[in-house]
Amino acid sequence: MAGEPVTETTTTTRRERWLDWFDGSLITLCLGSIAVIVAGGLIQVSFGAFSMSIVQAWQAVFNPEVIFNVRAWEAFLLGADVPEMNTQSLIVWNIRLPRVFVGILVGMNLAVSGAIFQAVTRNELASPFILGVSSGAGLMILLTLVVFGGLAAFLPLIASVGGALAFLIVYAIAWKNGTSPVRLVLAGVIVGTVFGSLQTALFFFADDIGVVQSAIAWTTGSLTGTDWDQVRMALPWTAVAMLLALISSRQMNVLLLGENTAKSLGMSVEKVRFALSGVAVLAAAASIAVAGIVGFVGLIVPHMVRNIVGSNYKKLVIGCIFAGPALMVAADVGARLGMAVIAGSDTQIPVGIVTGLIGGPYFLYLMRRQDKMGEI
Amino acid sequence: MRDEQTLETDSGLETVLERESTLTNGQHDPDAESNCSASEFAGQDLVIGYPSSDEPVINRESIHVMPGEVTALVGPNGSGKSTLLKGLADQLALEDGTIMLDGKDIHSLKTKELARELGLLSQENVSPNSISVEELVGHGRYPHRGFFDSLTDEDRRAIDRAISLAGVDHLREREVGSLSGGQKQLVWIAMVLAQETNVLLLDEPTTFLDLHHQLEVMEIVETLRDQSDITVVVVLHDIDQAARYADHMVALKDGSIYANGSPEEVVTEGLLADVFEIDADVQPTERGPQITPIRPRHDDDDDQDSTETGTDTESSPDNATKTDR
Repeated sequence: MAGEPVTETTTTTRRERWLDWFDGSLITLCLGSIAVIVAGGLIQVSFGAFSMSIVQAWQAVFNPEVIFNVRAWEAFLLGADVPEMNTQSLIVWNIRLPRVFVGILVGMNLAVSGAIFQAVTRNELASPFILGVSSGAGLMILLTLVVFGGLAAFLPLIASVGGALAFLIVYAIAWKNGTSPVRLVLAGVIVGTVFGSLQTALFFFADDIGVVQSAIAWTTGSLTGTDWDQVRMALPWTAVAMLLALISSRQMNVLLLGENTAKSLGMSVEKVRFALSGVAVLAAAASIAVAGIVGFVGLIVPHMVRNIVGSNYKKLVIGCIFAGPALMVAADVGARLGMAVIAGSDTQIPVGIVTGLIGGPYFLYLMRRQDKMGEI
Repeated sequence: MRDEQTLETDSGLETVLERESTLTNGQHDPDAESNCSASEFAGQDLVIGYPSSDEPVINRESIHVMPGEVTALVGPNGSGKSTLLKGLADQLALEDGTIMLDGKDIHSLKTKELARELGLLSQENVSPNSISVEELVGHGRYPHRGFFDSLTDEDRRAIDRAISLAGVDHLREREVGSLSGGQKQLVWIAMVLAQETNVLLLDEPTTFLDLHHQLEVMEIVETLRDQSDITVVVVLHDIDQAARYADHMVALKDGSIYANGSPEEVVTEGLLADVFEIDADVQPTERGPQITPIRPRHDDDDDQDSTETGTDTESSPDNATKTDR
């Protein structure tokens, strides 16, 4: 009896707190991102080598026989045989949509990975690529393609291992009675430079131009030719990484108060940093494994989201989970269809080139507008 | 700007008075009052240095902090007072020695356990600009929360208490980035208070603040002493302030403890000459000894020094008149 009013007030305050997170700017960001993803997705399914009208394509997307068919989803997500469906649906659901889904997963992973690395180093210029993850993955990809051609089937796995290894090396170099954000970034630059040189050296040993092209596609990041296989490969890791990022958002908020404060509040700073980096490497590896090294997304998305919702990681991580896919899907529209619009050719360019072309000017704009950049 | 400042001062005083009345009206639950005795906190044979240098800054010093009282560490720049505090707070690893808190070695405690017993406000603090005051103070509850725990009602009460004790109620919803340096410092103090520790270590909490906020900070320290059992150790740059607010003073010179005792015992003209290398006039007042610095002492004063220390304090007024001429 006496307990009732108390629990009532608790739940109301809980609800208020919950609403607190979802303030107007975050909701706007999420809805805007969803709109971009849906629009980009619809554009992607509407055009392609197999010609069908836009109406046909959209009918195929919203085809209830596929959406509500358990067997179809089993085929998509678990790899069972695809049930019979009309050609349009098959093209849309089996070829064009998976690419959008892979884009969503990659965008999510890269954005959250970047956000975590930025909290760990307390530096908003940090990203999976600055900390050596990408150069490690790229080197392993090239080694596989050029030297150990027989292992090409395991490329995603090898790329992820390379990324993780490179980050471990960076961490080891930065370690001196504990690490510091600056030492981590510097060690990342050192490892990145060395691995970058090795990558360039390996190009000279490539036998034929096909290998070089394939290697370039990997190291610039591309969604060309991705299908449900890639979705199946990335989805579980993405789910784990996003969940871990969400539940550890408070740790990242405390890390932002600086090492001394975090330590005096009873945080084991090194352990938390290492564990969070692990989550970030996992997320980056999941995206590298399916799309290669897509640059800039991990750098600019957390940045854009921070400008909109502030630096509270509870909001920031949620914002990145929505805004990352939006940027990635939009960029992939450009990568897949851009050349057709500009030059009238069917050539597709790697999506990493588009993200670079968007990311560079965005950074320039930020640099001009903000007096102080770097520290969060 | 200046008008605003004075207005702020008036309202500040009011809030301090209010604060004090709420405190006496029962900020403490009687439970805590009866069974909670002030924490014993002491360091034995401490050797503390920085990893980058071989020579320790503090070499075999022991310090026993009076439970429930305010102890001030004073000393000139580079005397090791902040280093000693960081060592006591386990921010710097000890090269040797032990620190006991209520009979337990603090190194045997887990980091969170220690953070529930011992709070530290560092000299320089950074936070994202967009964080709200309430959120920042809420982080003070970190050691009391498990990995998955959300804020409990007890946490919220502690945050409210800390915010009102630090007198930052009116800033609650503001973004930390929009506050003045003095206001920020009060907010950071509120965060450490929200930790609800028995021992509180403050590293130069008043340095770089305007007079109003310096006094605000020292009033909080005074309130803590009068209204609670919290043991406070504070590094102060301003020896006047230390003499006025501290129950105990520890003066450091070149990494060793030079004097230790009540402000009246520690703040003498002889000590000011030896430790701070100044000639000064010390007058006892109701608010503790008051210091009027007169001139810096140089190496060539040493001869005088040795003859004068024999007669100690009596000789110093002469010194003062000499320089007055």
